[in-house]
Amino acid sequence: MKTLIYSTAAFLIALGNLIADQSSTNEVRRSCCLAAIAPEKPLTDKSVFQIDSSWTNDDSQSVRLSSLRGRPQLVVMFFASCQMTCPLIVSQVKQLEASLPAESRGKVGFTLVSFDSTRDTPAALKEYRAAHSLSAANWTLLAGSADGVLDLAAVLGVKFKQDAQGQYSHSNLITLLNADGEIVQQFAGLNPNRDQLKAEIEKLTKD
Amino acid sequence: MLKRIQLIFLATISAWTLAAGAADPLPTGMVRIPTGVYRPFFRAATDAKEIPVKSFALDVLPVTTREFLQFVRAHPLWQRSQVKRLFADDSYLKNWSGDLEPGTNAPLDAPVTFVSWFAARAYAESQSKRLPTVAEWEYAAQASPTSANGENDASFKRAVLQWYSTPASQTLAPTGRGAANFYGVRDLHGLVWEWVLDFNTAMVTGDARADGGVDAQYFCGAGAQGAQDPDNFPAFMRYGFRSSLKADYCVHNLGFRCAKDL
Repeated sequence: MKTLIYSTAAFLIALGNLIADQSSTNEVRRSCCLAAIAPEKPLTDKSVFQIDSSWTNDDSQSVRLSSLRGRPQLVVMFFASCQMTCPLIVSQVKQLEASLPAESRGKVGFTLVSFDSTRDTPAALKEYRAAHSLSAANWTLLAGSADGVLDLAAVLGVKFKQDAQGQYSHSNLITLLNADGEIVQQFAGLNPNRDQLKAEIEKLTKD
Repeated sequence: MLKRIQLIFLATISAWTLAAGAADPLPTGMVRIPTGVYRPFFRAATDAKEIPVKSFALDVLPVTTREFLQFVRAHPLWQRSQVKRLFADDSYLKNWSGDLEPGTNAPLDAPVTFVSWFAARAYAESQSKRLPTVAEWEYAAQASPTSANGENDASFKRAVLQWYSTPASQTLAPTGRGAANFYGVRDLHGLVWEWVLDFNTAMVTGDARADGGVDAQYFCGAGAQGAQDPDNFPAFMRYGFRSSLKADYCVHNLGFRCAKDL
């Protein structure tokens, strides 16, 4: 039923676009405003995806956080050149991914967001993906502007600071978001309770 | 002919604008803080001892309730009943009577408080300004009324300390009553705490000794912090306060002022 409503709405919008295009080709704003009434539900008040900054993934595509919408996400802020705890956290999340039951795997995404707007270029992120064998289907790697990083860190409660050597001190925090981008639970430290994490993910991916 | 007159006229106007711009590049209500160096109060072994602060403009006064009222009028999404919970907790503008009525508990000339970091940033952006960084704020705030560096001014330090040990009053006093510091900035001490852009970079872990305490695993590379000047109690208080904040917190004695690049 939902699908029917959505496709009807999409059809109407497409039709509207067509009419708008025909009636006034110069009206650039028209398509923007039609897009704004897309059939998607508005983001909830507590959705992290309300942060409107623009990010770049390792395929050099410009994306918004709201593109992560639709399935739960485990979010970790990191930086690719980290020699200390980041590799540890990433490997723990990978182990967690491997340990998920088949019916949950694929229904949850894993997102790494870099603190390092300067060095973590798409190429650097791509290299990181390859080095750590992070699957394209489940893992998203993002870098953003300094302002975007500040916003996201603020929302997640991640503290970070760049030292004189260009390394980042930062909280070790894994955040579980539901499909709408709301924080469900956060796991701090290098040894997060994997059973609890798994249980939470399974709860979110049940239906 | 007419065209030539127009051209001359335009040239005159732009020359005049340029001259005016060079003489007074500062927006009203801001002063210029000259280039200098900030020595962080807390730092890890790997942190720089001195952080250069580039010349910037700083608001003379904290943002008032009156100014913030204008902002929420123009940006309804920041009104109390409409703000998104992600960006401000439920204490947001709690002392106001309504969305557009500050009321008796929030005097128009007093600094606006009960505002989150996100709200402060949005306000600054609406003014084409930004929040000052920790380094900028602390650098400007170490100036006493008579000197750019009040560190050795006993009476200045005593006055600041006195405020930090006095509980905040229920209703805040108007801005501008505090003495101007060396740069002409007022109320950096003595009225409200203030948000800074990078408040979430203050990483006080609870135990500054590098002994692998309980908190060490929650942070990466943050195990080696030490206070540079144990005597500077107010700076210590500010660091502690900042590290306890979350960006959606709205607190009765926490306001902000804006800065701007020059």
